[in-house]
Amino acid sequence: MVLSNKNIMSIENIQNAFRRVEYICSKHIATTVYLAFQLNKPILVEGPAGVGKTDLAKKTAAFLDLPLIRLQCYEGLDESKSLYEWKYGKQLLYTQILRDKLNDIVREKNNLAESIDALHRYDDIFFSPQFLEPRPLLSALQHRGGSVLLIDEIDKSDDEFEAFLLEILSDFQISIPEIGTIKAESAPFVFLTSNNTRELSDALKRRCLHLFIPFPEAQLERDIINIKVPGLEDSLRFQLVSFIQHIRTLDIKKLPSISETIDWARVLLLLHAESLNAEVVRNTLNVFLKFEDDIAVVKDCLYELTQHALKEGHA
Amino acid sequence: MERVLGDFIIALRNAGIRASVSESIDAAHTLDLVGYEDRSTLKISLAAALAKSAREKEIFNDCFDRFFSFTDCADFAPDKNIDYEAVSEQSLSPLTILLLDGDQAGIITSMMQAVQDTQLSNMQFFTQKNPYTRRILLYMGMEELDRDIRQLEQAGAPGALQQAEALRESRGRLFDYVRSHVERYYNLFTETTRFSIIEQRLKDVKLSTVEERDFFYMLLIVKKMVKRLNDVHSRRKKSFRRGQLDFKKTLRKNITYQGPLFDIIWKKRKIDRPSVVVICDVSRSVRTIVRFFLLFLYSMNEVIGKIRSFIFCNNLIEVSHIFDNYSVEKAVEILRTGQGLDIGLSRTNYGEAFLNFHGQYVRSVTNKTTVIILGDGRNNYFDPETALLRKIHEKSKRLIWLNPESIPFWGSGDSEMKRYGPLCDIVRECSTLRHLERIIDDIL
Repeated sequence: MVLSNKNIMSIENIQNAFRRVEYICSKHIATTVYLAFQLNKPILVEGPAGVGKTDLAKKTAAFLDLPLIRLQCYEGLDESKSLYEWKYGKQLLYTQILRDKLNDIVREKNNLAESIDALHRYDDIFFSPQFLEPRPLLSALQHRGGSVLLIDEIDKSDDEFEAFLLEILSDFQISIPEIGTIKAESAPFVFLTSNNTRELSDALKRRCLHLFIPFPEAQLERDIINIKVPGLEDSLRFQLVSFIQHIRTLDIKKLPSISETIDWARVLLLLHAESLNAEVVRNTLNVFLKFEDDIAVVKDCLYELTQHALKEGHA
Repeated sequence: MERVLGDFIIALRNAGIRASVSESIDAAHTLDLVGYEDRSTLKISLAAALAKSAREKEIFNDCFDRFFSFTDCADFAPDKNIDYEAVSEQSLSPLTILLLDGDQAGIITSMMQAVQDTQLSNMQFFTQKNPYTRRILLYMGMEELDRDIRQLEQAGAPGALQQAEALRESRGRLFDYVRSHVERYYNLFTETTRFSIIEQRLKDVKLSTVEERDFFYMLLIVKKMVKRLNDVHSRRKKSFRRGQLDFKKTLRKNITYQGPLFDIIWKKRKIDRPSVVVICDVSRSVRTIVRFFLLFLYSMNEVIGKIRSFIFCNNLIEVSHIFDNYSVEKAVEILRTGQGLDIGLSRTNYGEAFLNFHGQYVRSVTNKTTVIILGDGRNNYFDPETALLRKIHEKSKRLIWLNPESIPFWGSGDSEMKRYGPLCDIVRECSTLRHLERIIDDIL
């Protein structure tokens, strides 16, 4: 059983396990993950784009050595795409192949009512598990030995889909009208992520633990860069993080998140930059700023920002 | 310790976090797991179970810090160097004995009991702090304590006087302690409960008389109402989405399956989101209410398809672009000050406004549009141009007139309500948030 996995027996263990799979997490994240394991509850992860919400689920699957089953949400997602679908093709094929058999059954009967009665004895055959095509949610429930289920960007889906998830999230079971209720072999660990494009319903929130991942603090961000971009000089790493942290205090459309910091660090490594200077920054601004307006704003105060970062980097 | 958690959850609810019963149970489970040893872990864990949005996290942090900041219990024990044996053991009251023994736990228990008996949780206003302090002390046996002190002073036995002195000191300390407890209780539970009291009051207060300092609360209330309305109506709209069986399409689609109807197609009903044209009087008498009305309307973007808004006083201008370019709150603020807008703000002229509207914008009104006019209908004896209003009515799906004045005043003086009223489908008085909510509910 997964719960006996010693990696999740304490908050420190979780933190270390994450570190081993190259995911640096704050105590906040580790504690919430620990609680989710112990209480067997889904985690609803919110936060700005690119702070590692999806990565959290991936890495959890990695250190628990469980398969990750991912369901990307979008408007119009419904149960036939998320839960199960009947294999219509197979059903049709089988009815064609078995036409003679069906004829045999019907032929012996004298009238219509009897024929239909005879067919009724068999009709469930075509709606049995053999004809069921499991989609992410169902396969997560059916996985022996557990799995990590990632329901990504739940805020993009419709209200109906959210309501439909409730049964799975609280009881880890689903009802299929033709077959009955399917219960999870072993409950999956569920992560839901949301970018907060709309407010989620209270019912959904009630069933989850809530984790808000903000932009990381400088120390944490440095650690992350250290792990993700190993070749980078210490001093440059300090300057870079300090620069990004300052950018986040500016009034721009899209704030750079960790993924952008990492990209920038990689770019600087490729360019063999030894320390930040206005020239290098100007040429690589577009790595972490994604809007023309934002770039213009930052360019205006580029020199001060760079100087500041240099000073803080040395301190 | 469960009680501590219970109290904490009550404090959270008061502060505006909607913690449900199941979430409280989760919180209790997390408590069992992490315990009270590590403050930061406790905080994170409870936050995960109880606070479910970025805003709630903030409230939570604030509440947590206030709730779990225990001041050390005061030391009640009188000076130890007094020889108690010397004093005659008359029938001393329980409180006196507790104080003499310096039994802190006993005193705190006694106080907690008194807190419950006096129903401190009913406290609502800061003026009640003193009465409650006194009542708690009374319940704890302050009168008997005073009697004991007096008797000791009069007894004149050796040491009795010192004992009375020491007791007097302890009494002072006890008083301070109880008072600070009441203080903390007030800060934690009552300060935050104020919001719910204010909310009830503000919903019914006349919008034109709302004071500036309450605007912040008003915004919160409007947000809440908007969310509720959005929830109610978006669901209603969606349930109508699937129409009847589309037989033709079903047959056509299923030809590929050689006849059997596997794939059934339903007629889709188009979602009918109302489009709204708002025409608002922004003269001083109506301006506040317009502000909230627009705030309300524009926040309903999940349910309302299209809004065009116009404001008028001397003349009429369109302000939709302001709402397109700024956030709702900002836009409403701009309208309030009227900065940079080409509008004269001296004497309201309804006739002129209808003339402007009919001349330039009447094409925006179709048979699917609800036209809402918000104003008191006080026309400064200008030409009312009722014929134009009738034309607008004929073109629109519905014409609604909202008047912030109460009904008896309609038609008095320069008010043209008696003439405008019959031309509209709905005429309503609208002066409080509750009115607004109900009206918007009707529009949808």
